[in-house]
Amino acid sequence: MLLFKGPRNQILEPLQSVCGIVEKRHTLPILSNVLMEKVDGRLTLLATDIEIQIKTGAATTGSETAALTVGARKLQDILRSLPEDSEVNLTFEEKRLQVKAGRSRFNLQTLPAEDFPRMAQNETGQTRIKVTQKQFKRLLALVQYAMAQQDIRYYLNGLLLVVKGNEMRMVATDGHRLAYASEALGEQQQAIEVILPRKTVLELSRQLSDNEEELEIVLTPTQALFRFGAIEFISKLIDGKFPDYERVIPQGHGNLITLSRTGLLQSLLRAKILTNEKTPGVRLVFTPGSLKIISNNTEREEAQEEIEIDYQGNSIDVGFNVNYMLDVLNNVSADEVECRLGDASSSALFSLPGNESFKYVVMPMRI
Amino acid sequence: MRQEAGGRSRAFYRKRQSIIAAMNAIKPLPDLLISQIAAGEVVERPASVLKELVENSLDAGARQIDVELMEGGVRSIRVADDGGGIAKTELALALARHATSKIASLIDLERVASYGFRGEALASIASVARLTLTSRTIDAAHGWRIDAADLSLAPAALGGGTVIEAADLYFNTPARRKFLKQEATEYAHCDEVFRRMALARPDVAFSLAHNRSVKHRLAATDLASRARELLGEEFFAQTRVVEASAGELRLTGFAALPAYSRPGRDAQYFFVNGRFVRDKLLSHAVRQAYADILHGNRHPAYVLFLELDPAGVDVNVHPAKIEVRFREARGVHQFVFHALQRLLAAPLEQLTTVPAAAYATASGWQRQTSLAVNEPALAAFYDFVSAAGGPGIPQTEVDQETSRPEGSGLAPLGYAPYEVPHPEGSGPAPLGYALAQLHGIFILAQNAAGLVLVDMHAAHERILYERLKDALADTPPTQQLLIPALFAASETEIATAEEYAAALTRLGFEMAPAGPRELAVRAVPALLANGSIVELVRALLSDLKDFPESQVIEARRNELLATMACHGAVRARRSLSIPEMNALLRQMEATDRADQCNHGRPTWTQMTLADLDRLFLRGR
Repeated sequence: MLLFKGPRNQILEPLQSVCGIVEKRHTLPILSNVLMEKVDGRLTLLATDIEIQIKTGAATTGSETAALTVGARKLQDILRSLPEDSEVNLTFEEKRLQVKAGRSRFNLQTLPAEDFPRMAQNETGQTRIKVTQKQFKRLLALVQYAMAQQDIRYYLNGLLLVVKGNEMRMVATDGHRLAYASEALGEQQQAIEVILPRKTVLELSRQLSDNEEELEIVLTPTQALFRFGAIEFISKLIDGKFPDYERVIPQGHGNLITLSRTGLLQSLLRAKILTNEKTPGVRLVFTPGSLKIISNNTEREEAQEEIEIDYQGNSIDVGFNVNYMLDVLNNVSADEVECRLGDASSSALFSLPGNESFKYVVMPMRI
Repeated sequence: MRQEAGGRSRAFYRKRQSIIAAMNAIKPLPDLLISQIAAGEVVERPASVLKELVENSLDAGARQIDVELMEGGVRSIRVADDGGGIAKTELALALARHATSKIASLIDLERVASYGFRGEALASIASVARLTLTSRTIDAAHGWRIDAADLSLAPAALGGGTVIEAADLYFNTPARRKFLKQEATEYAHCDEVFRRMALARPDVAFSLAHNRSVKHRLAATDLASRARELLGEEFFAQTRVVEASAGELRLTGFAALPAYSRPGRDAQYFFVNGRFVRDKLLSHAVRQAYADILHGNRHPAYVLFLELDPAGVDVNVHPAKIEVRFREARGVHQFVFHALQRLLAAPLEQLTTVPAAAYATASGWQRQTSLAVNEPALAAFYDFVSAAGGPGIPQTEVDQETSRPEGSGLAPLGYAPYEVPHPEGSGPAPLGYALAQLHGIFILAQNAAGLVLVDMHAAHERILYERLKDALADTPPTQQLLIPALFAASETEIATAEEYAAALTRLGFEMAPAGPRELAVRAVPALLANGSIVELVRALLSDLKDFPESQVIEARRNELLATMACHGAVRARRSLSIPEMNALLRQMEATDRADQCNHGRPTWTQMTLADLDRLFLRGR
């Protein structure tokens, strides 16, 4: 029974977009498979890791109906290693999938499609928003680096997505620093707050493209659905209470310093060389007109950088994990950043000049 | 339905209570029963009888104690000593409960120096076994025997001292008898008790016979040779002499190097003022001293004597006196920990000489050895060597040079002492100088004793690890938390957090109660900021509660440093030049704990010329 016949890339590209989430190791063998269904001359590909499910389609010929699951990685590796211009023929015969291309022939074993776990689509109490892929991807990039990784406070291992009025907000924190970004939406929406799992966030920002094409997002209390291009991406949500981000963002810090983003970034990168690998702390010493960046390591080597700044307040001597500062400087695109400081033991707030939609809070490190 | 069930159970309890009430008017217990109850605590098994009897003999000033067991001590235990003996008039009293000659007042109890003091042992044993006591004081014309069953006295022939025989243990308490294990097991327990007593008092001669065959015959000697006899040569070849004191505290004995670690806790002997104890505080201190150099599931071997003012320790905590309580618990913990840690950490460079005797083992290759860290310890070491030459030789008359055991030096094999060339023109080095590299894994070096093999990755790993630890010794950087880690805490945890607030700040933590049963952590050491904070804090608090000098944080930190060191160390298959190898050897000599890698594996081993000769059947 013919499943697909056509140029290699016509099947490889959709396959690659669903296979990214397939985990290498499984206790449930069928999860390393991809589901292939052919109905009415259209081939649907679907993969899942139980938390996320990605579905996409490929054009094909013939009117047969068939459904099977086959090892995702193996099929992808076979297709990828075939010559780029080859014609590929997939046929399903006696519980085996045969891949033919030129003089190559592969027989893969399959598992029944009925056994494949599929996520039920939940359409109740939903919020629907439409943004461009570029908008959403940019917002993800502004906050995703601050997500926690394997924290036992499981709700930090993800990204908070808030829809409120005509605004969409994203917040991520690992308990040491927090990133916040918002974007105006065209129209008023039903308010909702969800936590997207870390893997979902990373996979989404990998798959979204930098163009003006539409991304449709459907949020329910238990599920998030993203539709873009031919892809339908469903993710479960983290069920938990995200910390109150508004309370954490400092309001009253009086000392405002505007810095060149690349200048600060370069200085910090140089100072980082002489920090300790596991505790990469740098001291920032603000005095009127100058910022000194000082680091030293356990071998008692020392680095000192000085930047001219427009600052007339009290001198402040405060330590930070340099990686937390590099993260924000690397991920925003503005020429200048604003830094608001309290004292040596209170958090610092980074933002972009004339822009209320991005905030980054980082706690100091006592060195 | 539930109510009905509840009603039934209430009725049941009421009925049971009325039965108990009818049966039991309050009345004093008969004497025998009191003793039997007391025996439950003291006389757990034959080994505990043996312990009580031997302690009595030691308290009586015996110089020679002979123990004879039958059928693992269940059939009979006979302890004969040459101590002071008991006068005829006191024999009956000796068997009475709460009668003792060892203390007379509470003040005596607080300063007790004898093993026993409760005055219960003989009475307890007599209540569960057939006990006869034969004794003769020095000035009595002949001995007298008393039978505990009817207190009948009869004249008996005895040279002097006391013989106690406890036969048919638990003959009258069948319930207890059922708990006895097989003969071999009970004998093993007796043997263990015997070893403890014999180690505690090396100045007393001991013998042990089981089913009429002699198992041990130990002459009066010093601790070194006693320990050597009981724990074996292998223990001794791998041991360091412990000798430390601070104020009224004194710690002596032998601690085995990690190379001689054990899978179980069987070779751990800790004596407090001569009394064998298994104390939580002390084992914790020892364990921590070994923490960095011993593989996780191995246990150290040691014979340690802690001496302190008897008033500083309460031995009346446990009926069998196996646990003690220290007045200055924290000080004792600190002292034991630091004394051992310093000793075990001492780098090789401090070895003034490589003692030849260290290599004189009976068989096989010598695993790594390093001994005698400083001059006093070296002297102590030679003391034991000289004592090992034979019991009875007064140590002062033995020249230290000639006291080395035969065949241990190089000369008897007919070699002229070989001068190891020193490429750097410096003096002799304990680990010698590199000759070559083997398969990119091992360094071959020669020193005065022979061939040294070094696992270069393991050695380099330890060097880096110690360096990282040194670098981090000052106050650690702390990361403040934007979102405090909240966790449900028990009242003990909250109380501990408040009590040790200062210590916690020093370690880099900041925490405060956030509610009646909740703690909020606001800052953590930056090095550990990415782990599970709550779990770390919980472990820290529970450890702080019991051991104020908790090392939990240090241990966690060290785990991390160990991983860094492992990644930073030279890998196998990396070829090194001779100067590089020599540099590594010199660094090892200067590094603390260089004998083991971070995981407790040895880093180097010595093959002496004698070992090599043996391989080639030379010189025989």
